[in-house]
Amino acid sequence: MIDALRSELTRSRRPGVLGAWLGLTALFTVMIVVVIFQLSTDPAGVPAAGPGVAFPTLEMLQSAQGLVAPLASASSMFGVVTLAFWAVLTASDHSTGLVRLLVSAQPRRWKLVAGKVGALVVWTAVATAVAVVVDLLVAPMIGGTSDLDLTAWGTDVASVLAGAWVNLFLALLVWGMIGLVLAVVTRSAAIAVSAGAGWVLVVESVLSAAFDGLRNWLPGSTISALASGGNDVIPYGSALALAAAYVLVCLGVTLAVFTRRDITD
Amino acid sequence: MSAVEASTLTRRFGDVVAVDRVSLQIPLGGVVGLVGPNGSGKSTLIRMLLGLIRPTSGSLRVLGEPVGGKGDYLSRVGALVENPAFVAGLSARTNLMSLAQVRGLPASRVDEVLETVGLTGRDREPVKRFSLGMKQRLGIAAALLPDPELLILDEPTNGLDPSGIVEIRGLLGRLAREGRTVVVSSHLLAEIETVCDHLVIIRFGELLFAGPITDLLAQVAGHVEIEPEHARDLDSLSAALRRAGRTVEATETGVRVRAAVGEAAAINREAAQAGITLSELRTVRESLEQVFLGLTGTDDGEIAADRARQAGGENR
Repeated sequence: MIDALRSELTRSRRPGVLGAWLGLTALFTVMIVVVIFQLSTDPAGVPAAGPGVAFPTLEMLQSAQGLVAPLASASSMFGVVTLAFWAVLTASDHSTGLVRLLVSAQPRRWKLVAGKVGALVVWTAVATAVAVVVDLLVAPMIGGTSDLDLTAWGTDVASVLAGAWVNLFLALLVWGMIGLVLAVVTRSAAIAVSAGAGWVLVVESVLSAAFDGLRNWLPGSTISALASGGNDVIPYGSALALAAAYVLVCLGVTLAVFTRRDITD
Repeated sequence: MSAVEASTLTRRFGDVVAVDRVSLQIPLGGVVGLVGPNGSGKSTLIRMLLGLIRPTSGSLRVLGEPVGGKGDYLSRVGALVENPAFVAGLSARTNLMSLAQVRGLPASRVDEVLETVGLTGRDREPVKRFSLGMKQRLGIAAALLPDPELLILDEPTNGLDPSGIVEIRGLLGRLAREGRTVVVSSHLLAEIETVCDHLVIIRFGELLFAGPITDLLAQVAGHVEIEPEHARDLDSLSAALRRAGRTVEATETGVRVRAAVGEAAAINREAAQAGITLSELRTVRESLEQVFLGLTGTDDGEIAADRARQAGGENR
């Protein structure tokens, strides 16, 4: 399994792909920080939510957690990026035919899946760190120009940052696993990204609006709750348990499909 | 032990039978040509050998191990299936390194195969800058990584220039002389005839022939051209051969006998028994291309196919 992980890390170290992933993560972090603090000065007040974004309240922004609040708010944006790159790095093995070489080199296909997941988890951890670092650099600069009282931001910074990293990382992991399973099943990055992002951002919103009880356990709600350390709808513990269940289901389906399917690509 | 041993191997895709009850043995060592028209089932057969596709029924053993088990035999098999598949943005070396790592091979093996296929010096360039021929060489390098006992190459000379083709032909011969078995799928029949010792011909998923190329060429129709020592014996020579049940046709100076090339000695004997000494005896055989087209592509091929099945039956 270590061999498969090393191989996957070597192969996924593509400057273009990783640059785009980490660059988009940094760009979205800057954008969300700017937007949130811009809105905080709007006399109309902070909107409740936008597409893929849940805006923090002014109280939240002025608390110690306010330093990292933009990260949780934009977790869906980071999530779509993560889902896309997990899907691209998985589906491209099929579209290029590389999967033929890999499976004939390592017939125990579960090891290939484990290596792929391991490498993508590593890059997801790096992307999460980039988001946290960029937020740490940009939020005080942008926040300092607002009228908000940010004195609480200096409290327990390390713990706040670590908590934000863990929550965002776990949320992105679920997004990534959704990208992985969709890419393995469809063998197409485009279909996987469309289906995954479309479901979490659009279909699930419609379903949640139509059926109240669904928002307590659907993946999009779960991921949002996880990223923000729990919320009014799903407490943190439940979000963790649900997220673990989604990861296990995605992994199970991925393994079942990839180990049993004929390689005709 | 055979390199490949298949028994009533069948693979269906819905209603389509891609490989139909194929039984064959490929001996260890030498170069084996796998030929057949497009859609004949070659790729499906190769994919089954590599464990990429599971057979619907029948059994398949590669290097003595059953396909469908743990697949340990694959550590002794290298393959280039269809077009070479690599990450375009990464260098040749990084691509090979990644494949070496997944097999648990040392980095030194990458240097060795790069040198074998003549890509040393270009190995740091991204694959997207490679020509088709260079990608093909890289594909062969990837197949050679595990130092394989069985090497399966699908159209290995595709995209190579003439000198590259000669080079790869030499490489295949060298690998076979080292005791490896090299299975080459190709549409270039002249290439197959030059390089291969054994041949497997399939059409519509059915095995038409499996055995040494010489057996196939010896038993399919060709002709023998003979000339008697004395021109006055021409008529009696034709008559003697007709009495022996042969189809003959007069030429300017001799007789053309329709016969398999392996029958030249018998014809010589029949002439001698008639008291005629031959001054010339030439066997003219069909090229592999003509044989292949006869077997797979024309109505006349049905007759040739039957002949080949009979010939193949003796060699399976």
